[in-house]
Amino acid sequence: MKGQELQLLKEFENDSKWFHENIDKLREENFIGKFVAIKDAKPIASDKNIDLVIKSLEENGEDPSFIFIEFVHPKGFTLLL
Amino acid sequence: MKIPLEVYFFAGGMRAMAHFLIKSDDPHMFGSIEAIVDTGSPTTILGAPDLKRMRVSKLNLKNLESRKDPLAYGGGEVKVKTLNQAHLRFGEYFECVIPIQIPVDEIINCTQPTILGVDFLMLNKLSLFFYPNKREAYFESSK
Repeated sequence: MKGQELQLLKEFENDSKWFHENIDKLREENFIGKFVAIKDAKPIASDKNIDLVIKSLEENGEDPSFIFIEFVHPKGFTLLL
Repeated sequence: MKIPLEVYFFAGGMRAMAHFLIKSDDPHMFGSIEAIVDTGSPTTILGAPDLKRMRVSKLNLKNLESRKDPLAYGGGEVKVKTLNQAHLRFGEYFECVIPIQIPVDEIINCTQPTILGVDFLMLNKLSLFFYPNKREAYFESSK
């Protein structure tokens, strides 16, 4: 079980890395202002409403709990925590 | 012991980011999380998008204790509840059980990520080393 969990985390980390390295490409492809789900280094669902992204993942047999989903902010946007 | 972190340019700045698995029995919660390590935040709080990904609803949170004061979060104030037994696992490196705050107000279109705050560092006796120019960051245990 621990091995499976580590594998899930590794895949999530890899998709996170891909997202952050390809954020400009995603902006060029009209994902700005949308939540994007990434799996195996490619976008598999997107929408302005995260609920619809999650629904789409579930309909395609994915478990959203382990899928990397992030919002694509416009270039120049700064998030203050 | 060192726990490696990632350093990315994200949402306008260079950030130290952590990836971990979160588990809880009540409410049931299990999923992968990306969090911003934020030494400006006294508390650890689960992001609204991450709650949604793990399908945690308000109803699931009914047995949790409410925090008396609201937290500043996502540009406003939100009511939160405390999950006292959140099990976090940082790959092969480290695991811990800590209390985390969970927003219970419905936040429309909230994109605020999960934040690992100073409480996480204190409870686990960890120090944060962050070298943004070298794109390197890690926690180090002082236990």
